[in-house]
Amino acid sequence: MRIVVLVKQVPDMERVKFDCEAGRVDRSSAGTEINPFDLNALEAAVSIQEQLGGKIITLSMGPAAAEDALKDTIARGADESVLLSDRRFGGADVKATAKTIAAAIKKLGGADLIFAGIQTVDGDTGQVGPETAGYLDIPHISNVDFISAYSETDITVVSNVMEGSYVKKSSYPVLITVTKDINQPRLPSMKRKLSARKAHIPVWGYEELQDYIREDEIGLQGSATKVKRIEVPPAVTRKGQVWRENVEEAIDGLVEVLKKAKVLEV
Amino acid sequence: MKMTEKDCKGILVFAEQKKERIHRVSYELLGKGKELAAQLDCPLCSVVLGPPDMDVAELIYRGADIVYHITDPMAFAAPDEVLYEQNLVRLIRDVKPEICLFGATNFGRSLAPRVAAKLGAGLTADCTHLAIDQGQLVQIRPAFSENILAHIQSTAYPQMATVRYKEFNEAPRDTNRKGQIKAMEAYVSDNSPVKILEEIVKEDFDIADANVVVAAGAGVKAKEDLKMLQELAELLGGKLGASRAAVEAGLIAKDHQVGYSGNRVKPSIYIACGISGAPQHIAGMKESGIIIAINSDPSAPILNIADYAIVGNLYEIIPKMIRKLKNMKS
Amino acid sequence: MKENIKAKLTEIVGQDWVVSNPEIIKTLCSDEAEIKITPCYDCIAAKPATAAEVAAIVKLANEEGIAVIARGGATGLVNAVVPIQPTIIISMERFKKIIEVDESNLTVECEAGVTLLDLVEYFNSHPTLYFAAHPGDEGAQVGGMIATNAGGVRTIKYGVVRDQVKSMEVVLPTGEIINMGGKFIKDNCGYDLKDLIIGSEGTLGIITKAVLALQPKEKYTGSVLIAFNTTADAVACVPDILKRGIKPLAVEYVERIQATNAATDIGQVWPVSKGSDDLYLIIASNSEDEFYEICETIVEICDAHNAVETLICETAKEQRNILEIRSHVYPSMLKKLVDCLDMAVPPDKIPAYMEQIRALSQKYGVEIQTCAHIGDGNMHNNIMTPDGQRPDCYEDLLDEIIQLCMSCNGTLTGEHGVGKLRNRHMKLQFTEKELELMRAIKKIFDPNNILNPGTAIC
Ligand SMILES: Cc1cc2nc3c(=O)[nH]c(=O)nc-3n(C[C@H](O)[C@H](O)[C@H](O)COP(=O)(O)OP(=O)(O)OC[C@H]3O[C@@H](n4cnc5c(N)ncnc54)[C@H](O)[C@@H]3O)c2cc1C
Ligand SMILES: Cc1cc2nc3c(=O)[nH]c(=O)nc-3n(C[C@H](O)[C@H](O)[C@H](O)COP(=O)(O)OP(=O)(O)OC[C@H]3O[C@@H](n4cnc5c(N)ncnc54)[C@H](O)[C@@H]3O)c2cc1C
Ligand SMILES: Cc1cc2nc3c(=O)[nH]c(=O)nc-3n(C[C@H](O)[C@H](O)[C@H](O)COP(=O)(O)OP(=O)(O)OC[C@H]3O[C@@H](n4cnc5c(N)ncnc54)[C@H](O)[C@@H]3O)c2cc1C
Repeated sequence: MRIVVLVKQVPDMERVKFDCEAGRVDRSSAGTEINPFDLNALEAAVSIQEQLGGKIITLSMGPAAAEDALKDTIARGADESVLLSDRRFGGADVKATAKTIAAAIKKLGGADLIFAGIQTVDGDTGQVGPETAGYLDIPHISNVDFISAYSETDITVVSNVMEGSYVKKSSYPVLITVTKDINQPRLPSMKRKLSARKAHIPVWGYEELQDYIREDEIGLQGSATKVKRIEVPPAVTRKGQVWRENVEEAIDGLVEVLKKAKVLEV
Repeated sequence: MKMTEKDCKGILVFAEQKKERIHRVSYELLGKGKELAAQLDCPLCSVVLGPPDMDVAELIYRGADIVYHITDPMAFAAPDEVLYEQNLVRLIRDVKPEICLFGATNFGRSLAPRVAAKLGAGLTADCTHLAIDQGQLVQIRPAFSENILAHIQSTAYPQMATVRYKEFNEAPRDTNRKGQIKAMEAYVSDNSPVKILEEIVKEDFDIADANVVVAAGAGVKAKEDLKMLQELAELLGGKLGASRAAVEAGLIAKDHQVGYSGNRVKPSIYIACGISGAPQHIAGMKESGIIIAINSDPSAPILNIADYAIVGNLYEIIPKMIRKLKNMKS
Repeated sequence: MKENIKAKLTEIVGQDWVVSNPEIIKTLCSDEAEIKITPCYDCIAAKPATAAEVAAIVKLANEEGIAVIARGGATGLVNAVVPIQPTIIISMERFKKIIEVDESNLTVECEAGVTLLDLVEYFNSHPTLYFAAHPGDEGAQVGGMIATNAGGVRTIKYGVVRDQVKSMEVVLPTGEIINMGGKFIKDNCGYDLKDLIIGSEGTLGIITKAVLALQPKEKYTGSVLIAFNTTADAVACVPDILKRGIKPLAVEYVERIQATNAATDIGQVWPVSKGSDDLYLIIASNSEDEFYEICETIVEICDAHNAVETLICETAKEQRNILEIRSHVYPSMLKKLVDCLDMAVPPDKIPAYMEQIRALSQKYGVEIQTCAHIGDGNMHNNIMTPDGQRPDCYEDLLDEIIQLCMSCNGTLTGEHGVGKLRNRHMKLQFTEKELELMRAIKKIFDPNNILNPGTAIC
């Protein structure tokens, strides 16, 4: 059993600053952490491994500093990690990211199960999981908040799509994206944490992946979308409209508000 | 085979259906799609995957010029991303639209990236605005947990986006509208590695996913009175919330409690009825889209954070609101 | 309540800000204390917005001979804001402004109604500075925290609220507005009136504004959770950690059942499962290496005391989860709680004190669950029964616990204050002369005894 978990290092969103005038995101004082949903993905992998054995490999594409995130995954139960880091990977959109990750998984010799988070807190597209499955040509099951059963050959989960909850069963290989409701990630033990700090994390650049991906498929060049600019909308200020005497007028006003918010069409 | 600008024409809207009912976001996409098609001077098409006898004319009434109806008696009854993807990719390769829009529903956000990967196209996630600039689609989407808006352009074809529900107006319904329905048998209809065993009903009440919360405070005096709040909530497709005082008074179960020691909620509309607005309550709902307060005390702190407030008796206001909403609906 | 008082209050604060509806008044007559005393509901509330308005109300009260209570977040645990005679309740909720962050002197100036949650959230997004203390429930107000000299979970490194207050604007019980203290570090001029007001539980003046100390944010913070099989092992660890020169922000002790109940109550999971008694430390440092060195030392000390599991939380969310569960310990036990005690003893007496508490619990057959700001020797021994009803032996048990505390050279209350709950036991801790001095001070400040009478002293 080989389980790959995709993790992304993201800024600590509570500390990120959004500069409304300059339209910039300032991450300098933010510090980084593992994308919260990816901890759920890792926990799902660890709890399966506890029953079935096998190996958990965490994989992240990012700057050299993302090594810390991967060390943290080792403290939390991963057996091995690979960091995909190369200046040429920079500027990747989801397409280039997913292709690069898919190439790395092929180089690893494939995986039975791949776990990813439902989305990140920064790029926030939620597309890397399904696109990676697409490029690997394997099925995926998304928005999973419950694992009902698993064995050496298949897994059964609950997937929340189409305003319903569907029990889906897939043979391996399959990629699964998880929500925060799937489990409560356990905390690393201090001893594991202290020894994981000293772990060696192999770094793969384009050279290591070149048998699996072309150079024009990675990074900026391999991307099919471009962020033209960003704007930081001003913080919401509450309208503060107060109706006091005339109840009829107030109700008419409220109904207008509800209509505009499209909540009357149920 | 890569699509280029020259071969691609037209806008294709994916219409999501469940039990042959089309998701309303599809009509919103047709509404927006119509505008974009007018600017690009191109046709607006829609694709729906469903059983052969499904009535798809509604998509014409809502503005589609051509409806591609990919049919199979069984295959599309359940949300199987692999089957949907295989059929859509074949269609898109044949039709070659320049723009492809999906509703950013859970299913759309799961399916569209698979399709994009198979086509080698780019995909912009969860857009809240779409516009045309020099013949190109400009896609605007929130990112960084809703803190910023990114303007994104695709550099490959088709230009694909998932679009958030309730951002655009539904296309008006015109039953006299004419268009073409092209029914075709599914390209692929079985052999998916994923088996969908059943749809289950979840019973746990989770107020955190409500789009509208109508919350009761100590100003609601008795358990029976909750009925009118429940009715208001149902009219708005929402759920009942409560302050700790209401929970402690035994009006309602603890899993409805909003606040520091209850649930944090972020609905688009929060209606606080007879809630004073203690900091521990506000901590749980201040990120709501629109906050409405009904309170008889003009000095209640909830008024400070409300977008709209009525100073008055909730026993008078809420029944009147319910009556008005019901009249509007009938 | 005399009719003319409502009219005069309306003149001072405006019609919208006077509350006389008896139903709403009722909701303003209690705090979070588990032992309820009977309030006097013949009250009226005013919500002023300026110190001048507060002063005018206080003067009116003197003229009319009616009591005044400043009501903060009402999170107090000793009935301090509960009126026991006809009273004008001054609700401080409109004093909401965070006025200025002074980055050179490391201070923040804010109005008295700013809540702890406001401060926490405000400084979450500040790049370099924060308000390091966490004195009380998140709904507590700056004025209330100062008036009670609150403590909380993070006092080891930076102290209690008294240590955070640089200066204040105060309305005296006689209606004058005075300023005391300043942004200086040292001050030896005259009697320290500021320190007299701090912790006076709203009996010597109404705080309207304060300048509080800030700390530079440490680059690395983490929380360490350590589980033990016995209370003795857990508490014996603490002096050893502090002796090694480690200054965590917090050293907390919590009996497992309290932690798991609190977690369940808010839909969370307490992350440790082995053992029965937990220590919870918050460690902060500017260097990553130092941070982990401290962690290593702690592991070593705890191992020597038979720790059975040691976990670390580093992400903001994980740390917040733990703190939230810790903050929820009190609300989660309310159904069974009879009395939440607040004794503080010298650190070296903690093991003996805890052993005796256990013995008393056995002797009386009454459950006593404990959580503690153990690094400061501040113990919350929670007397509990299955239905929260006071057992017949309550008074005897309480007497014995107080005697135990006194024999350990402890104090009746480490942080919650006296309020209207602990006055009757003050004689056990103070001589008549000491109590006389306190009464005399009150008299000088408040000759007509209008400001929160019956509170803090006896
Ligand atoms: C403001 C902004 C808007 C953007 N909008 C778009 C857009 O609309 N379309 C587009 O194609 N690109 C977009 N991008 C680029 C996109 O964010 C990056 O490609 C990013 O590397 C991956 O996307 P994500 O953060 O959205 O991940 P998601 O798709 O939200 O991540 C889901 C899961 O995939 C895994 N995962 C994600 N990234 C990695 C990684 N680097 N390494 C390992 N595992 C990973 C994790 O398990 C994660 O939980 C945008 C970038 C910015 C800054
Ligand atoms: C540790 C701690 C945690 C807490 N956690 C929470 C929490 O998670 N959630 C929470 O809600 N609270 C919490 N609280 C309690 C909080 O402090 C308040 O006590 C509580 O929110 C008050 O609820 P309320 O507004 O319904 O009641 P009240 O404060 O009594 O307010 C009732 C309101 O109803 C209005 N009213 C009365 N009659 C009418 C009428 N006929 N028409 C219109 N208006 C009317 C009144 O004007 C008043 O404003 C917590 C407190 C503590 C100390
Ligand atoms: C769940 C929970 C956890 C708690 N944890 C702690 C803790 O860890 N440490 C701790 O020390 N306490 C704790 N407390 C107790 C409480 O939070 C503190 O005592 C807090 O300082 C009270 O502040 P408040 O604004 O709520 O004051 P209130 O309860 O409103 O008032 C308390 C006293 O202060 C006076 N007062 C209030 N505002 C002013 C003002 N502006 N000027 C003059 N006097 C004023 C009042 O008259 C009253 O005498 C806890 C309480 C709860 C419910």
